[in-house]
Amino acid sequence: MPSSRSISLKLLLARHEVVLVLVILVEVVLFQLLGRNFLVGRNVSNVFRHSVEIGLLAVAMTPVILTGGIDLSVGSMMGLCAVLFGMMVNRLGMDPWFASLAVVGIGALGGGFNAVLITRLNLPPLIVTLGTFSLFRGLAEALTRGAESYSGFPPSFLALGNSDFAGIPAQVWIFIGVAVGIWLLVHRTTLGRSFRAIGFAPEGARYAGIPVARNTSIAYMIAGAVAGIAAVILVARLGEARANAGIGYELLAITAVVLGGVSIFGGSGTLAGTLLGWVALAILNNGLTRISDYRILEQPVASVARELSGLLTGLLLLTALSLGALTKTLAVRRARKQSLSDTSPNLVKS
Amino acid sequence: MNKYFRELTVAIALALLLLSLAIFAPHFFQAQPIISRLTSQMPALVAAVGIALVIISRQIDISIGAQFSMCAIVAGVTASAGFPLGMAILAALVTGALMGAVNGVLVAYLGLPSIVVTLATMVTWQEALRLWQQGRLLALPNGIQWFGLSQQVGQMVVISVALTLVVGAAWAMKNLSGGRQIYATGTDAEAARLAGIDPKRTTFRVFVLMGLLTGLAAVLNLVQSPQVQPNCGDGLDLKTIAAVVVGGVAISGGRGTMWGVLLGMLLLANVNPALTHFHQPPYWEKAIQGLVILLAAVADGLRSRKTKF
Amino acid sequence: MKHKTLIAAVAVIATLPFISCSKSKSSSKITIALLPKSKGNQYFVTCEKGARAAAHELNAELKFDGPINSDPAKQNEIVENWITDGVDVIAAACENKDSISTALKKAQAAGIKVVTYDADANTDARSFFVNQATAQGIGEQLMDTAARLTGEEGEFAIITGTLTASNLNEWIKYIKERNAAKYPNMKLVDIKPCDDQKDKAQQEATNLLSAYPNLKAIIGVCSPAVPGTAEAVKQAGKAGAVKVLGLGLPSENKAYVKEGVTQAVILWNVEQLGYLSVMAGAAVAKGELVAGAKEFNAGKLGKIEVVGDNIVLGKPFVFTKENIDQFDF
Repeated sequence: MPSSRSISLKLLLARHEVVLVLVILVEVVLFQLLGRNFLVGRNVSNVFRHSVEIGLLAVAMTPVILTGGIDLSVGSMMGLCAVLFGMMVNRLGMDPWFASLAVVGIGALGGGFNAVLITRLNLPPLIVTLGTFSLFRGLAEALTRGAESYSGFPPSFLALGNSDFAGIPAQVWIFIGVAVGIWLLVHRTTLGRSFRAIGFAPEGARYAGIPVARNTSIAYMIAGAVAGIAAVILVARLGEARANAGIGYELLAITAVVLGGVSIFGGSGTLAGTLLGWVALAILNNGLTRISDYRILEQPVASVARELSGLLTGLLLLTALSLGALTKTLAVRRARKQSLSDTSPNLVKS
Repeated sequence: MNKYFRELTVAIALALLLLSLAIFAPHFFQAQPIISRLTSQMPALVAAVGIALVIISRQIDISIGAQFSMCAIVAGVTASAGFPLGMAILAALVTGALMGAVNGVLVAYLGLPSIVVTLATMVTWQEALRLWQQGRLLALPNGIQWFGLSQQVGQMVVISVALTLVVGAAWAMKNLSGGRQIYATGTDAEAARLAGIDPKRTTFRVFVLMGLLTGLAAVLNLVQSPQVQPNCGDGLDLKTIAAVVVGGVAISGGRGTMWGVLLGMLLLANVNPALTHFHQPPYWEKAIQGLVILLAAVADGLRSRKTKF
Repeated sequence: MKHKTLIAAVAVIATLPFISCSKSKSSSKITIALLPKSKGNQYFVTCEKGARAAAHELNAELKFDGPINSDPAKQNEIVENWITDGVDVIAAACENKDSISTALKKAQAAGIKVVTYDADANTDARSFFVNQATAQGIGEQLMDTAARLTGEEGEFAIITGTLTASNLNEWIKYIKERNAAKYPNMKLVDIKPCDDQKDKAQQEATNLLSAYPNLKAIIGVCSPAVPGTAEAVKQAGKAGAVKVLGLGLPSENKAYVKEGVTQAVILWNVEQLGYLSVMAGAAVAKGELVAGAKEFNAGKLGKIEVVGDNIVLGKPFVFTKENIDQFDF
C-alpha cells in the first residue's frame, strides 16, 4: 500500500507548473555554477528586459489558445504597429504616448479583423492568422517600401525601454501590469472562465448560454492589442521602428505557452503555467551566453549559445509534451483500474 | 460540379492571372524562362504534395522547411565526400523518412498535437543544422547538377518527375485503399477506427511519406545549381501550407485533391514573377499572398456555412 | 512536508550568488568582443578568422557572437550581455544603425571602448569606424564597374539581401547617386530581395531576365545573390550578354568567374578587415589610438591611415578571371 507521502509527491510532480519550477531551479543552479556573471543584478535585469516582448505575446496568446484557437499573426502585427508608430511620431509629429495608445487600438482592430473571419465566417484560426501573418507584415513592408525606418524618438520615450524604475526595468513593470490583468481576466472573471469552456466544448458552451462569438472575439482583440504594446516597448528599447520588428516572435510565444502546460487544443491551462514556461525559456536563452569556460564542438558554449538554446528548447518541448502524455496515460489507467476495483464484488480493501 | 468548386475557382484565378500577363506583360511567355521558372517551382510542389497528405489526415507539419534544408545538406555532404549521385539521393530520402518517422511516432503513438510536435522538431533540426554547417555555401562536385545530364534534359527530368508524382498521387488517393484511409482518418478518426482502419498507423505512415517526399523535393532542388546553401528550406512551410490551403485542402482534414495542390502552388508561386513582369515593386508580395490566402479561406467558409457559433 | 522542501530549496538558491567556481580573469589580458551582423554568413566567419589572428598576436581574448538571422533586437541583447561580462572592447558590425547605437552607448557609459566595422553605428556611439572602404566608395565602385562592363549604357537591375538591411540600402543609395551623376544612359529598372538565399536570387534573376528583355547587367549587393544570379544567367543562355557583378566572396564565385558568366566580384580582403578591427579596438583600449590621430600601427598591416574617425582598409578590390586564383576565402 503506497504511503500517502509518495502519492502526494507523485501528484505534485504530475502538476505541470511544479515540474516547470523544478526545471527553472535546475537551470539557475547550472548556469550559476558553469557560467560567469549569471546571478548578478545586471544580468538578471537583462534576462527579463530582453524577453518582455515575447512574454507579452505569450500572455496575450493564452486566452486565444484556451479557446482552442491560435494566433500566428501577433509577430507581424508587432511589425505593422511599430511602423505605424514610427510614422505617427516622425511624419505626423504626434506625441509618442498618444501614438502608443493609437497603435494599441490598431492592434485591437487587427485582432478584431481576425476575430470576424474566425467567428462570423467560421474559418479555421490557423488559416486566418496564417493569412494575416503575411498580410500584416506585407502592409508594414509596403508602407515603408521595406527600407524606411524611423528613429530619433525623445529620450523620455526611450527610457521606457532602457531605464529602471525602483530598480526594475520600466517595461517589466508594464509586463507585470498586463500579466496581472490577464491573469485576473482568465482566472477570476466569467469571461475568462468561458475561454476554457469554449475550448473544451464550443457547442456545449453555446448551449450553456455563453456568447461564444463575442467572447472569442474579445480574446483575439486582446492578443492584437497586447501585440501593439509589445511593439511600442520594442521600439523604445531599440530606439528604432522598422518593418522587420517581431519576426519569428509568434512561434517563440507559442513555445512558451505550450511549455507552460496550456493544451493547444484548448480547454485547459493556466496563465501561471505560461509565465513559468516563459521564464524557463528566457533563463535558458540568457544562461547559455554566460558559459565561456566550457567548450562544445570546439567552441566556447557562449559562442553557440543561440543555436544551443534553440536546440535545447526543441528538446525541452518534446520532453515536456511526452512526459505530459505519459503521465496522462498513466493517470487514466490508474483511474480505470480504480473504477474496476470499485465495482468488483470484493468489497474488502486492503 | 460542386465537389470541385474550390479547384475550379483556383483554376479560374490562375487563368485570370495568366490572361492579364498575356495582355500587359506578354514577354512573360517565352519558352526558356518559363521552363526555368517551372523547374525552380517543382521542388516546392513536391513538398506541397507531402504536406497536403498530412493536412488531409487532419494533422499539420511546420517542420517541413527544416526537413528540406537538412535533406539537402545531407545529400550535399554525401556527394562532396565522394559518394555517387545515387547514394546522395538515397541519403536525402532516408533522412527525410527518418525525420518524418520521428514526427509520426510522437503524433500517432504518443497522441501529441502535431502543431506543437512539429514546432519542436522544426526548432531542433534547424538549430542542429546551424551548429553543423554554420551557414556555409557547400560546393557540389561535378556530375551532380542536372543529374550529370545537360541542362535541357535535366530540366525536363525535374519537371517530369514532379508532375508524374502529382498525377501518381492523385491517382493513388482516389484508387488505392491507402488513399481512402488517409481521407477517412482525416474526416473522423474514431469512425475510421470503427470501420477497421488503424488511424494511428495511417497517421504515422503519412508523416513518413511526407518526409520521403521532402527528401525528394530537396534532391530536385539540389540538382538545379552547383552549390547548396543550408537555408534553402527557409520559408517553405508558409509556401506549401498556403499553396495547399488555397488549392482547396481543408485544414480540418478529410478534403482536398492533388490537382488543387498543383493549381494552388502555381497560383501563389507566380505572384512574385507576375509582379516583376508588371514592373511593380517587390514589397507588395507578402501583402498580396496574405490576401490570396484569406480570400481562399473566405471562399471555403462561405461555401460550407455550418453554424458553429 | 511540502513546506520543508520549499524552505530547503529557497535556502539553496539564496546561497548561490555566493557560490561560483573561482574564475578570476587575469588582469593583463584584454578581452575584445566581435559582433557580426549574422553568425551564419561566410563573410563574417572570414572576418572572425582575421580577428582571431590579431587577438592571438596581441595575446588578447576574443569573444565572438552574433544573431543567427538579422534580428536587430538580438544584436542589442548580445552587446548588453557583454556589458555584464565586463569586456574591454566591442567591435560591432551594425544591422540597424539607430537601435544598436542605443546599446553601444550604454557600453561606452560602462567604460567599454567601442569601434565599429563593416557597417557603422551613430558617430557618438563609437570611437572609430573601421571601414573596408567607405559606403560611397563601395557604391561607386559597383556602379563604375557595371558601367565599364556595359559600355555605359543600358538597363540594369539590383538584387539585394532584404529590403530592410541598413548598409545594403546605403550602398544602393550611392549606386543610384553615381548613376544619376555620371551615367545618364544607364537606367536602374528594378531592385529585388533574395532574403539571403542563393536559390531565391536565382529565381529573381530568372524573372528579371525575362521581364526586362533589354537588361544589360545585374548587380548583386549581398553575397548569396552573386552566384545565384550567375546560375540564372547561365541557364538562360545569356552568359556574357547580361553582365553579372556584385559583392561576394571569391571562393563562392570562382567557377562562374572562370567560365566568364560573372565578370567581376568586388570585395576587400575580409580577413584583413577582421584583423584590422581587432587591432584598432585594442589600440583604442590601450590608449595608443586617440581622436585626432592620423595613423596608427596595425601589426602586420603596418601603418594604417586614419581619416577623421574612419579607419580605412583601402579601396574595394575587384576579383576577376585573372587574379581570383590567388585568394582562398
